[in-house]
Amino acid sequence: MNKLLALTLAACMASPAFAGGDAAAGKQKSQACAACHGADGNTPAGPDFPRIAGQHEDYLLKALKDYKSGARKNAIMGGQVSALSAQDMADLAAFFASQRGSLAVIR
Amino acid sequence: MRISLAFLLLCTLSLPAHGQTGNAEAAKGKNSWCMGCHGIPMYKTAFPEVYYVPKIAGQSPEYIAKALQEYRAGDRSHPTMRGIARHLTDQDIADLAAYYGAGGAK
Repeated sequence: MNKLLALTLAACMASPAFAGGDAAAGKQKSQACAACHGADGNTPAGPDFPRIAGQHEDYLLKALKDYKSGARKNAIMGGQVSALSAQDMADLAAFFASQRGSLAVIR
Repeated sequence: MRISLAFLLLCTLSLPAHGQTGNAEAAKGKNSWCMGCHGIPMYKTAFPEVYYVPKIAGQSPEYIAKALQEYRAGDRSHPTMRGIARHLTDQDIADLAAYYGAGGAK
């Protein structure tokens, strides 16, 4: 476990391009997300909206980046991310990943 | 003729999109491709970039079905998921959506 932590830390420090997400800052920026995904990210407003609470942080960040680059297309999300900076996206990913959610891993 | 065509169109429109009813039990014979990545806690993809594969159990069946349909249509970009979704029928997608959609609901 310690080794894993050290490795993770080393990986973070070795990649200067990655702006580390700040969950508290992400919460401040999450009002727009709450309208569809729920304030906690676990209570979506409808079945078309995914749960994002407790989802892996790097996956959430990738999704946001893909919406911004156009690699992933969604009319709502494409509009939402257009005004977000790299730091905003990292913060939001950190916030929602840190929330308790009902997503699970099953075979 | 025109009326019956219009009626037919109306009937089609009033059906839920991709109207298949999912059978979670049937999905158990179809999810061997899924479990190799999504069934392993903290599993990371190595291709095309490294990140944790998303947790999918507990999303709504509608969202899972939509994701698979988008991969199948080429509207969503992950190459592995596209390769897999290409082989899924509408019924397969409905069954897998029912299975994983029910999985996280506690």
